[in-house]
Amino acid sequence: MRDPFTVFGVHEDASDAEIRHRYLGLVRDYPPDRSPERFREYRAAYEALSDERRRLETKLLRTNEAALARLGAAALNAAPPVLARASKRTVAALLTEGTMRAVTDRQPPGEDAGQRGR
Amino acid sequence: MKKPYRRAPAPSASIDALVARAAEALRQERFREAIDLFKLLLRQEPRPEWKRALADAYHGRARDLAAKRMFKEAAMVLENALAPDGTLHDPLFYLECLIRDGQQQKAAMHALIYIGRDAALPVDSRAALEELTAALLVAVPLRPDPTRPGPAERTRWLELAATSREALDAWVSGAPAEEVERHLNRISLRSAFRPVRLLLKSLLGGLQETDRSRRLLEAITPGSPFLAFREAVEAVISGEQGIDAENWHRLTRVQQAFVAEARGLPASASQFLAHVADAARAGPAALYNFLSKQTDQPQAEIRSACLNLLPQIPDRLAQFEQRFGPLSPLERNRIQALAAERRDDWDRAERFWRAAASSVPSEDPQAGLMRGVIFRHLADLAAAHPQIEGDPDDFPSDPIIHYLEQSREADPDYVPAVLKLIGQYRKDDRPKDWHRLAEEVVQRFPDNSAVLQQATESAVARKAYKKAAGFARRLLQIDPINAGVRRQMIELQVAHARKQMRARRPDLATRELGTAYEWERPDAPNALLRIAHGLIGLQAGEGEWAEARLQEGVALAGGGAAGWFHAALETELMRLGGGLVDRLRKELAQARMEPPTRDAVLSVMTALGQPEATANRKAVASLLLGMRPWLLHAAAFDWLPAEFHVLAETFARFEAFNLLQEYARAARQRDVTNLTWRFYEIVARTRGDVERLSMSEMNELTKMADAAVDRKDFHAANRIERFLSGESVTSSDRRRSPPGLPNDLNGEAMEMLIEAFVSSMAKGPARDVRALAEEFGPEGAASVMVERLRDSPLGGEMPERVLRELCAAMVAQAMTANTPGRGGTVRRRRA
Repeated sequence: MRDPFTVFGVHEDASDAEIRHRYLGLVRDYPPDRSPERFREYRAAYEALSDERRRLETKLLRTNEAALARLGAAALNAAPPVLARASKRTVAALLTEGTMRAVTDRQPPGEDAGQRGR
Repeated sequence: MKKPYRRAPAPSASIDALVARAAEALRQERFREAIDLFKLLLRQEPRPEWKRALADAYHGRARDLAAKRMFKEAAMVLENALAPDGTLHDPLFYLECLIRDGQQQKAAMHALIYIGRDAALPVDSRAALEELTAALLVAVPLRPDPTRPGPAERTRWLELAATSREALDAWVSGAPAEEVERHLNRISLRSAFRPVRLLLKSLLGGLQETDRSRRLLEAITPGSPFLAFREAVEAVISGEQGIDAENWHRLTRVQQAFVAEARGLPASASQFLAHVADAARAGPAALYNFLSKQTDQPQAEIRSACLNLLPQIPDRLAQFEQRFGPLSPLERNRIQALAAERRDDWDRAERFWRAAASSVPSEDPQAGLMRGVIFRHLADLAAAHPQIEGDPDDFPSDPIIHYLEQSREADPDYVPAVLKLIGQYRKDDRPKDWHRLAEEVVQRFPDNSAVLQQATESAVARKAYKKAAGFARRLLQIDPINAGVRRQMIELQVAHARKQMRARRPDLATRELGTAYEWERPDAPNALLRIAHGLIGLQAGEGEWAEARLQEGVALAGGGAAGWFHAALETELMRLGGGLVDRLRKELAQARMEPPTRDAVLSVMTALGQPEATANRKAVASLLLGMRPWLLHAAAFDWLPAEFHVLAETFARFEAFNLLQEYARAARQRDVTNLTWRFYEIVARTRGDVERLSMSEMNELTKMADAAVDRKDFHAANRIERFLSGESVTSSDRRRSPPGLPNDLNGEAMEMLIEAFVSSMAKGPARDVRALAEEFGPEGAASVMVERLRDSPLGGEMPERVLRELCAAMVAQAMTANTPGRGGTVRRRRA
């Protein structure tokens, strides 16, 4: 599991209000009925950061990638508020990746696939 | 393991023999051999069943190749099984091999063969194949071949694929929404190309219609070849203020490229993200180098990101301080401690964590909490790694206890750590510290149920009844359903009443039990309390109510022989006499006329499981003797292993080895495969004495223990190991003093004990002791030995003075015998 600071992308010295705001924002965007796994991760991260001692444990006893995540987020936030278009090459690559994923996720090759033939 | 390939036989072999060999080869998955054999058979006669079998063999062979990621070869093997119309029995597997080999075009062409020919497809794979075909046709342009016209449906699919591509091209080239939609409207919502329509509609909806778009996209389900596209589109439309970082990090590189382009991310931002990703893949040093060179990014964030990399690359500490300024002592020590942990260097980790704790600035409002966190972490490390030594000034103290005590000092309000410390005191057999801390902590947290539970248990252990009652009452106000504390309090009061009865104070005993009813829940009357109360009343000459209480208690204890056994046992524990005892014995004898039931026998075992019953073995053993014929009837019951352990341990505790023998024998007759019965048969034969084991029994038990370890039945393995090492087989005896343990050691006893201890030490015991003596001096070594042996089964029960004397003698012996043959002497002596 990712560390809670990275999950929320908040600073190690973030206030309770900031952490709560971030948590509620994420849960609103990814509610448990639609994204149960994400919700579990957000919930666990919130529990770890909403308790003063557990937050200190996370801060002192672990490293985190929150700053790196924030730097990434800052770069991502440079996107304009209107949509553009992707290139033909990228779209083709995305379609290829989709077909590849569909066959690899189907089942391990040569196991069930092979057995079905018999 | 590679399967041996057998050469195909000469064609002269008989057909039947060939068929049998071919079928056997196929069954045993020797596919290459099966292929050769069926080919040979088909050359002689093209039977349809052999054709099918050959196709199966090709399929199996292809499956083997695919498992080795040889997809090209797997596809080629499958092509041997193509039907004359170009179809395969399992097209999805063939397509999988082609796609994973990068042959998208060939895959698209093959997939198209099945369109309009539903009969050629298994029903369960039809939908998946259609989705895959649609995705392939959108990704790889195929044109209708005028020379080989196919079914009309196939032509329609090619047209829909072309329309989908036109729509995508229009979107890519920046055409207005209306133009893209014109193409999209030509894609039927019932066709397999519907995802293209949903994806582009969502993108055209922009950031204003995200909810509607998300709903549309939900129609593209997991497993669909368009799912990767769906995830990318969701990421594009999700962040109004920019791209959501959370989503970004979950995307693949291709998806990220799509999102960056579709959101119009500036090239500098895209490049920064790509460089970070590349550097992160190259390792922490590369990422550190990249980040530390970034001067146009916020420097506080760059510093924090680099700081978090330092535990992985502690050699960059000086470089970091040069670039970002000096670190605080706390940070420096913390980084070194985390770095040491990553290298499993626990000595160093402990040193730096201790230094970190002492460098927490005292003016920091969270100083106490921080120190508490660090000390608790050290306690956790000490529990997992023996290299953590604890207090250097008080060696050899228990490091877990030492750090938990430090944590409590730093952060006294943290209840879980205090409870953990109490648990450690109890585990370490330090009752004074346990009771002191339980007293202190209940003053500080009078309304905490876990603390009150500890305080109650501490008071019960000290037999401080009034205190225990006070804590228990408070606890039940907070947690009224706490059945454990209720039972504990009743047992405490009954035990107290027994004591009063033994001291011939029935009035005090009656008063004691009269107040014990407050611990009962109205819906859960207590058998033990009623039996004890009834007996005391009857002994004192009380009539009706006492008889009623007794009858009620007997009924609650299971009635019949079980119920009356509880009552008879109680008379033994209270040391009652006279007519009452005779009457109860008669009642019991009468009740024993009825055959036993499983519940009744287990109820008797529960009564015998009371600590006071074990403490009065002699008196109870005679009572048990009277139960022997009745209990023997139950030997034939089909006992579960868990029940049997209870029975066996009880019989062994009261030295009823004949009963145990009968039970084990009957169980073995029912099921000879379960080794539990055999183990107890041996225990019964040897009367629980390892010295009486024969060599073959010793070997049998050793094998039994190994087999138990192999099947991960560690309870059984431990039970056998305990018996083999001479410990009691009964769990409740483990913490009690072994009989006849000397309080003073004469020369012979000392010699015997040293031998016992040295022989139980793991590797080179004498060498070990000598090494300790060289490191800490004779006295220090003796202290270390005391601490170590205190945890051993025998040492834990040994009086402190004896233990110290023994260790000093062991050190002295090891020092005088400075030849390596000393350990061998002991071993020889044992032999």
